[in-house]
Order: sequence, then structure tokens, then C-alpha cells
Amino acid sequence: MDEVQAGPPSRNGRDLIINARDIVKTYRTDDLEVKALRGVTLQVPRGQMVAIMGPSGCGKTTLLNCLSGLDTINGGVILIEGEDINKLSDNKRTEFRATQMGFVFQFYNLLPVLNAIENVELPLLVSGTKAKEARVKATASLETVHLAEWATHKPSQLSGGQRQRVTIARALVNSPAIVWGDEPTGDLDTANADEIMALIIDLNRKHNQTFVIVTHAPEVAAKCHRIVFMKDGEIVREEVPQQVRAS
Amino acid sequence: MNDLFGLSMTYIMIGLLIVLAVALSTVVWVAVRNRVMFFIGVRNIPRRRAQTILIIIGLMLSTLIISTAFSIGDTVNYSITSQVYDHLHSIDEVVQVKTGDNNGNHDHGSVEAPAPIPETQAAALAQKFRSVSGVDGVLPFVHSTLPMSNPRASLTEPLNVLVGLDATAMKGFESDIESVDGKRLSIGDLAPDEIYVDKSLSEKLDIVAGDKVQVFTKDQPHNLTVKAIVKDRRLTGNAGQISRGFVMELKSAQQLLGRSGEVDKIAVSNSGGVYDGLNDSKTVTAALNNVIGTAKFQATETKQDAVDNANTISSVLTTFFVVLGLFAIASGMMLIFLIFVMLAAERRVEMGMMRAVGTKRLHLTEMFLAEGMTYNVLAAAVGCGLGIVVSLGMVQIMAALFSGFGLSIQFHVTARSLIVSYSLGVVLTFLTVTFSSWRISNLNIVAAVRDMAESTPRQVRPSVDGFGSLVSYAIWLLFKPTSWRTWWTSMLVWIGGIFLLAVSSVFYIAGISVYGGSSAGGVAAVVLFIAGALVSISAIVIAFTGFFRIFQLGGLSLLLGAPLLLVGFATSQAFPAGAGLSLEIAGLALLGIQVGVPNRLAATTAGIGLLIAWLLLAGGQLFPNLNGGIEMFFLSGVTMILASTFVLVYNADLMLGLVTRFVGGAFSSLVPSIRTAVAYPLANKFRTGMTIAMISLVMFALVMMSTMNSNFNHIFLGDEPLGGYQIVVTENPNNHIGDIKQALIDKGGDSAAAATTLTEVDEVRLANNLVAEVRNQLPANPTTDDKKFQKYTVVGPSIGFTEHNGVKLDARATGYGSDADVWKTLETDPNAAIIDTNALDSGGGFDGGSGFTLRGVKQGDPTFAPAHIQVRDATAPDKIRDVTIIGIIGTKASALYGGLYLSPATFDTVYARPESSLYAVKLAPETNAVNTAKAIERVLSSRGVQADSLRKIIDDFQRTSQGFSYLIQGFMGIGLFVGIAAVGVVAFRTVVERRQQIGMLRAIGYTRNAVAISFLMESSFVAALGILSGIGLGLLLAYQLLSSDDLAKQGIRGFYVPWLEIGAIGGFAFLASLLMTIIPSRQASSIPIADALRYE
Repeated sequence: MDEVQAGPPSRNGRDLIINARDIVKTYRTDDLEVKALRGVTLQVPRGQMVAIMGPSGCGKTTLLNCLSGLDTINGGVILIEGEDINKLSDNKRTEFRATQMGFVFQFYNLLPVLNAIENVELPLLVSGTKAKEARVKATASLETVHLAEWATHKPSQLSGGQRQRVTIARALVNSPAIVWGDEPTGDLDTANADEIMALIIDLNRKHNQTFVIVTHAPEVAAKCHRIVFMKDGEIVREEVPQQVRAS
Repeated sequence: MNDLFGLSMTYIMIGLLIVLAVALSTVVWVAVRNRVMFFIGVRNIPRRRAQTILIIIGLMLSTLIISTAFSIGDTVNYSITSQVYDHLHSIDEVVQVKTGDNNGNHDHGSVEAPAPIPETQAAALAQKFRSVSGVDGVLPFVHSTLPMSNPRASLTEPLNVLVGLDATAMKGFESDIESVDGKRLSIGDLAPDEIYVDKSLSEKLDIVAGDKVQVFTKDQPHNLTVKAIVKDRRLTGNAGQISRGFVMELKSAQQLLGRSGEVDKIAVSNSGGVYDGLNDSKTVTAALNNVIGTAKFQATETKQDAVDNANTISSVLTTFFVVLGLFAIASGMMLIFLIFVMLAAERRVEMGMMRAVGTKRLHLTEMFLAEGMTYNVLAAAVGCGLGIVVSLGMVQIMAALFSGFGLSIQFHVTARSLIVSYSLGVVLTFLTVTFSSWRISNLNIVAAVRDMAESTPRQVRPSVDGFGSLVSYAIWLLFKPTSWRTWWTSMLVWIGGIFLLAVSSVFYIAGISVYGGSSAGGVAAVVLFIAGALVSISAIVIAFTGFFRIFQLGGLSLLLGAPLLLVGFATSQAFPAGAGLSLEIAGLALLGIQVGVPNRLAATTAGIGLLIAWLLLAGGQLFPNLNGGIEMFFLSGVTMILASTFVLVYNADLMLGLVTRFVGGAFSSLVPSIRTAVAYPLANKFRTGMTIAMISLVMFALVMMSTMNSNFNHIFLGDEPLGGYQIVVTENPNNHIGDIKQALIDKGGDSAAAATTLTEVDEVRLANNLVAEVRNQLPANPTTDDKKFQKYTVVGPSIGFTEHNGVKLDARATGYGSDADVWKTLETDPNAAIIDTNALDSGGGFDGGSGFTLRGVKQGDPTFAPAHIQVRDATAPDKIRDVTIIGIIGTKASALYGGLYLSPATFDTVYARPESSLYAVKLAPETNAVNTAKAIERVLSSRGVQADSLRKIIDDFQRTSQGFSYLIQGFMGIGLFVGIAAVGVVAFRTVVERRQQIGMLRAIGYTRNAVAISFLMESSFVAALGILSGIGLGLLLAYQLLSSDDLAKQGIRGFYVPWLEIGAIGGFAFLASLLMTIIPSRQASSIPIADALRYE
């Protein structure tokens, strides 16, 4: 497996925000053992946008869950910002996620009972930000995704694209170092998907935030700095998209 | 227990079994007709075990309540009837001196007789009675109370019943005198100084056969020898009121009592045994009275009356428990509905998919019905079983409470009651499940598959521009914009509904006409009633379906409310008027929403409006002339709870904004948990509202009950009820004392010292309760009822009592300036009389029935025109004496000083043979009344006196009443488990429902604890709202009722809130709800994040 150096807009090319080595993840049911990840190694420099692609069941989402600390691993080491997240207690890991990471998922996962701004400010409140300050930051975050005027609308009153933008605003409100995306455009039509990707790229450029995106869509992957291909729980190859190479 | 709501329990059982068979056949029909749907439904049951258990608990609660109520009824019935059969044994009828107009039931427990019967006359009657067909024994007897002491054990008992039996007339009663080991004994074997002592007295005085005991008459000791200990029977002295005694030969007894040549009553035994003899009681009684002819005697069906009385008591008690259990039953049915709505919500996507691939609505209904009935059949069985366990516990408490009344409570439950409870539980749940299943099956396939909210099309309001448009606007307000075809269809539906109503009316009329005619008629009637009820429900549903198709909901409510209001006013009944008023208010709110008023404003205004209306109705400020019974308690409770629930769920966000601000200010780390904890229940108004309503309904009933009882008990606090005295001494009629103080001094020693603490002793004589009768003065054209005399306690106070008592009066006749004036007049004016407040008409409630009600004076009138009444001794019915009521004894004092007080001279004239005397005693300050009473009783025990502290009498009574009230509250409190189960069901469901959201919350930084706290807070929030709403409404309604004129007039002053009790009930409900949420909260917090976020 070749390590790809081209493309990342990191300052020195060696500032690794994600440094995962030999990750093994096994699921056990009654008498069945499934090796979801078979010694995956992945390094991502700060500010890079990485797309993870592969067929269904190849372990993309599992890798994302493990890297982000949503799931535990059975072997290997994951360093995020130099911190071994698997050695952290559940509470510390949760705190780490709240301050360092943002999440964008296919089905938005907004709380239907809260309005847009309340959804966005939730991560801030969780990490101890005062309510007033949280409201200011959440408003700013919604402005970033061009949804300030929809702030008091509940998710059910928003379109799919708008909901995903609220999710992005929520993911970015804490100014996280890494944003994880699991099929962020999977539930959107082409126009909305393009819009969301344009927004992500813009945010990546402006704030130098690292994005790790699991996707099935080649056009989404093509907009990233780097594409990692997986198969049967392993990374089988990597690519730098044409347009990145060209730029 | 044989009857409920006037219908035979056997017929009810048969009717319910038929309905149960129909319900079960429906499920079998589903299973046979559509096996796939049946199995899909049934296989859902083991999917989530914890949830299944919770559902069964929820479903069983209604059955539990019903089964408990019936078991208690059975127990009371069995306990009383078995005691009746056991004690009366061979006695089926009793003949005694006729008592005026009221030849009602003979009180088999009484040791009084209206008047003695000359023995020769009794013998002549007995001779004639023996020739009456069906009679196998006639026994004249004498009875009285005597003190007895057992020198060997140094024990004395002041009140024991002596029965004297004629040894030559024992035929037919041989089995009544049995030794404790079951051996028949003969009265003829007794020597003149020998007695048989019953088991209760032997235990009390530690008597064994062969003991020499002493009895006292006219203060003289008589030595008697105990020949044997016998079973407790009426003929051995166990009279119920005084449940211990002894028996001796008639002549010896007459000699001992100084009543030679007299007997009190004649016992008659019917052919057949203790039980079978009852079958001919009616015929035999008629024959006996026929034999008596015009003589002044009367035969009564003593045993039958006592058995009927037992049935009535148990039936009233069961009805009482069932009615009080209605709150819990209603909550239980709401829970069943909620459970099924939530099950449907859980399976919405599956159901959408099933509909998409060709499953019909009916199939979904069948699927849920199969599942629901499986739960139901199991849950009702568990409910029945637990009902028995609960009633066992309650019976133990009742046994302890009523042990002082000579009633031995033994647990008993009949198969019939269990069948009725089970069938009723299954049928109620079946109806609820069927309705919920039908409701659930009406889903939008696309919305269900995509798990989106069901969209309801917004109605377009017609624009108003010009007169013509105003008309169409008015039409739109009442009618839905719909086609003529819908109109025609609706018309046909209505006609169908009216036809069904007519059919159900025929069923009811037919049922009434055949009921009671025969056993088959009874069964047919109950089946017809049930069929009528089902057809009526169908008719109403059909009619409503038609109405809903063309009428707007607001307009429909207004339309239906108006006739109900009219019916209420026309019949002066609060129930239809209250229901109509509620529909009008609800209709206005719905109309408001229709014309664009925001939901919150409409719901809040209507909710507050309903609350105010019902509070004013309860307080008598609104429609004061309407009458209502206990059903109004239920209707007002349900309506007020619904109203307050609407206000709460539509405004909780405002209150909680403040709470969040305050709590958030103090504990900022809790803010995220609070935010989600509050947002979820507020977003799901139906679920939250149902849970709040369930909890608050039961809390409301409990708080009302507790507050009302506490306030009534408060009447008797303080010294006013004591009437200025501290002790009452009851004299034994066979040992007249006259001067208690002197009697104590005569005893010397400590007794003489004790006498010095008695500062005042005033005698009060009581007329024989069986003969004292009163009636209002006859009007110009008296009716038969006017002419009828009623039994009433008549009192002959001594001059000392009239001068020294501190009994306060509630009302005085015009012209009297003070209570003292009234009492003074009673002393001097032979025409004057004073009566207690129980004789007054309180303007509703339960009085005005069989008892005497004084005409011309109402509760609460401070003054009144002197009221004229008449009194007499029923044994001399033509000797009627007119007296004038000049004072009404206050409510507080009426408990101890009840009765009609005549002037001493008049009392002597009317009642030549007073039954007994009481002595009201005042003590020196700081004297302990309880100890002094004990000392008097001890010193004068040989004279059979009973002395009690008046305060202790009141306290003991209150303790028993409080105990019973706690028992009832405990029973009603079972309903709290409905609310608690609802909190649990919602919490379990929520964890499943929000799995992905929980995953996301954990992903963005919620710790496990934050998730768990959020869930706990959510349940606490809902439970707290329910509890506080129930407490608030219960207190408000209680306050309104207690401050209403009717109750204020009865001596209720001020408003006492039993905070400790309410706090304990509320605290328990809150903690139990929290406990119920702990498991789901832990489940929620421990969901693996990656699993939760996975889409399947």
C-alpha cells in the first residue's frame, strides 16, 4: 500500500492529525466472527480531505467509527492529534469528541424536537459553553451554511439539503479539528449534493479542517484530496483525484 | 355478594361469559381466517420481553381493581352471612311486641325488646305456632344484660347477655346448645343455679366448666356454677352488639331478673336445617302473623332479613369499591390505548411496508387484535390472581379495623366473582384493543414507510367579502365542505344509527320486562341488556361517523352539548348539564381553531374555562339547583384532569423555559440534558398528555379523598364535641345506680378519693330504641307517609344536664337569645324539645331516606320558626304527644349527643319504661379522663357500669374511620401503578425510538450519564406534571366542595390540607416513576454508539 504525499494542504506534510496503525476490528455474534477491519493503517495530515470508498460491507463505516472513537478496536493504535483515543476512558473520549470532532451523517440525525439553532448549539452546551455564548456561535455557524433565517425551524420544516447544512453547522460549531462524514450526500439529489460538497470544500479551505468522508459517490470522492479504497476490511489502494493532481 | 347495580351476579356472569365468548371467537375467527396475520401478531410478543411484561402489567391493572372489589364484597358477604347462620342457628323468625307503624326488621343483635310478653300469652301463642305448617320449634325466651365476675381468675365483665330458655320448649332448637367440642347439651340438665357460658365470655373471664361465678342484679351478687362452655349462639347470649353471654333455665332467669311471668321474645324454627329452613321463611312468617291476627305482636323474618342485610352491605361495599376504582379503571383503559398506539408507532415502518405489499387495513386490525388479545387473556388471569392477593391484604386490615364491632372477617371469594372479574377485564380490554387496532390501521402508507409524520390537510377558510360570503362562512363553520353524495351517505348512516338505537331500546324494554320473572328471564334480561349496550354503542359510533363526515368538530360539539344542557336543566340533573357545558366549551375552542385561533390559545382558554366551570359547579356557585351523586365525582375528575392536561401540554414550554433558566443557571452541565428532557415530551403531546392524565387522575382521586376525610375528621377536634363533659358512664338496667359519686364514696378508699375529681354528674335517660318514634306535625291533608312515625333516639335529660351541659346549638327558634335560654326552657316547658342536626335536611346527599327529617328547618339556618313534631311510645301507638323544637344541637356535638331531647317531665309521661341511663361526668381540671373512667368501671364493675372517656370514644371512632379511609385510599392507590407503568412503557419505547438520536448525542459529546440523566429528567418531568396537576386539582375541588354552602352548614369551618399524606402519596408516585425509568435510562446510556448510528 503506497502512502500518498500529494495534495494535502498541510504546512509541512508531516503534521499528522490521524495516525492509525494496524487497526483490527472484529464483530462477534453467537457463533459467528466477522473481521470488519484487518490491520488497517491510515495517516492523514491536518487539513486534508480524504474520501474512503469501497463496496458495501468492506468496512468503510467501521473504519470511520473506530477512527472517531465511536467504536472500540480489537487491535492496533489510533492517535488523533497525538492522543491514543482507545486509552481514554469513555467520558474522556466523549469529551475529546465534543471538542475535537464534528460529525455529518447521511440521515442528518438532527433531534426532531429541537429547532435548527438549538440543534447546532447542542455540542457547545455539552462542552460547557455558556448558553448566551453558545447561541452567538450557533448563529454564526448557521450563517456560515447560509441558514440563519431558518434558525427557528424544526428539522421537519426543512428540506433535505437544508437539514444536511444544519448538520454541517452543528459539526463545525465547535471549530473541530476533524469532521467525519458518513455518506453526507447519500440522501440528497445531485444539486443539493454538489452544494453540500462545495460548502465542505469551502470550509476546508477557509479553516484548514480535516475531513474524512465515507462515500459511494465517485463525484464526491473526486472533490477530495485523496481517495482511499477499501475491500474486505483492508485498504487496497489510494488515489489522488485527477482534479487535485491538476491543481 | 348476589347483586351489583341491582342485577343478579349470576345473570351478570352469564351475560359476560357470552360477551367473552364473542370476544374470544373473534380472535379464533382471525386465527382461522387469516393465519399469517394472527401469527405475525402473536410473534411480536416475545420480541421484547421487558416490554411484554410491562404491557401485561398495564393490561392487568383494571382486572386487578375489579377482582379486588368483588373479592372484598364476597368476603364481607360471607363473613356476615356465616355469622348470621352460625349465631341464629335454628332461629328463623322472631315474634315480639308490635311496634307501631314500623314493623320492619327485627334486629337480631339487639338485647332490647319493645315490651315484655306475659308468659301465659306467650305459651298460648307458642301452642298455636306449633301447628303452623313448616314450623318445627317455638321457644319463648327472656334476655337481659348483667355484669359477671369470676372470683377464681379475679376478672369482671360489666356487660354480658343472659338468656333464659324454657327447657320444655327446646324441640327444634336442640342443636343450638352445643359444647365447644360439638356435643349437644340440654337446658333441662341445668340446676336452678347452673349455667352454660358461651365461648366468648369464657375466654374473657377465663372461665372453665365447674367455676363458681357471680352475677349482679340490683347490686346483689348471685352465685352460679358453670356447667359447661358452649358455642357462641344467639340463644347462648351472643347477641352481636354484646358478643358474649350465658344461658340458664327460663324460670331461674326470670327469678334472677325479677321478671317472673314475663318473656321478651318467641323464637321460631322452621322445618329443615340451619340453611334450608330459610326457604319457607316468607310463608311461615305470613302464617305466624295470620295466627297472631289483631293481637299486638308481630312475626319477622329475622334470619332472612339478616341475610338480606348482609347481601345489601356487601353489594353497597362492592359498588362503592367499583365506583372508587373507576378512576383507576379509566386510567387502565387509557394505558391500554397508549400501549397499543405506541406499539403501532414502533412498528409503523413495518406496517407501512405490509400495506404497500397488499395488506389491507382490516388485516392490520386483525394482527393487533391477535396480539392484544393474547396479552389480554394472560393479563386478565394475572390481574384476577393479584386482585385476590391484594384483597387478602385488605381483608386483614379490615378484620383488624372491625374487630371491635363483633364482626369476624374471613376471606372468601366465589368462583362467580372471579369469572365476572376475568370476563369483565378481558371484555373491557378487548373493546379498547379493538378500538386502538382500528385507529392504528388508519395510516398513510408513504408516510409510514418513510417514517414521516402523517400530514393532515389544512382546511381552507372561505374569504369574507360581502354578505353572501358571510353566509357561506357561517355554513363552513358548522359543515365540512363536502359533496351531496357524502350528505346522502351520512343521512343513510344516521338512519342506520337511529334504527339501531330503536333496536337497543327494544332490548332494554324486553330485558326489564323479563328480569326477575324467572331464572331464565334473568339470564335473558342480562343478555338483552348487554346486547342492548353493544347495539347502543354501535348506534352511537355509527351516528357519530355520519356526523363527522359532514359536521365540523367544533360545530358538532356545540350541537351535541346544547340538548344535554337542556336535559340537565329540565331534570335538574348535574351530570347531563355538566357534560353539555363541557361540550359547549370544547366546541367553542375547536371552532376557534377552525377560524384561525392558535392551538395553544384555544386549548389553554378552553382548559381554563372548563376548570373554572367545574369548580364553580362543584362549589354550587354555578347552577346551584342541580342535583348530583357520586357519579359527579368521577365526571368532574375526568373533565378537570383532561382540561388541565390540555393547559399543561400546551404551555409547559413556558414554565419549563423558566425552570431551564433557573436550573441551568445553577447547574450549567445539566443544560443539555434538561433541554432534550423537556423538548421530547413537549413535542409528543399525545403521549405526554395521556401519561400526565393517567397519573393525575388517580392522584386527584386520592388527594380529594384524603383532604375530604381530613377535613371531616377535623370537625371533631377541640372540646366542642364533648359538650362540656369528659366521661360518660352507662348504667346496667338491672343495677340502677342513681348517684355515681355516692356509689364511689360508699366503696371507700381510693374510690372515695376518685369521687372527689367528679365535679358534676348529670343523668340522661334513654327511651327504648325499639319503641321511641317521632313524626312531623300532620299537615291539613296528610299523606300516608306523613302519618308514618319514624324511629328516633329519644332522650330524657335530668335537670342537672339541662343546667350544666355545654352542648352548643347550631340554631335556635326565634325568640331565644342564647343556648342557655333554650336549655332552660327545656327544663321548664313540658312542650319544648331540642333535636340534633342529623334530623335536618342538608339539601341533598344521602339523607331524606328512611330516617326522620324535621320539616321547616334547614341545615345552616341560624334561627327558625318553632317546629312542631309528635312523639310516642310505639307500644302505646295512640298516646301521641305534641312537642315544639326550639333548638338544634350543633354538628360537632351531635355525634355524642344525638337524639330528641324532651323535657324531663314529658319524657316521664311518654316513656314510662326507659331502657337505660347514662351519666355525663365533668372532671376537675387536670384529671385524666381515661384513667378516671377505668377507675369508675373497675370500682363499679359488679354493678355492670361501663365508663368511657368521651375524647377516647371520639378518637377511637376517628381511628377506625381513618383506618377505613386509608384502606380505601390504598385500594384507589393501585391506580397509581397505571400511571407508573405508563411512564415505564413510554420510557422503554423511547429508548427504541430514539436509538439513532441517542447515538448522535453520544457522538457529539453527551456522556453516558448525560444521556441517562436526560431520560430520568424526561420521566420526572412528566410524572411531576401529572402528580402536581392531580394534587392541585384535588385540593381545588376539595376546597370548593368544603367551602360550599351545603358542607359549611354541616360544621366544616376553614380548610385543612393533609400535606403529610399528600406528600407521601406524591413522593411515592414520583419515586416509583423514577424507578420505572432507571432500567430504560441505563439501556439508553449503554447503547454502543456505532450500533446506534447504524441504519438497517
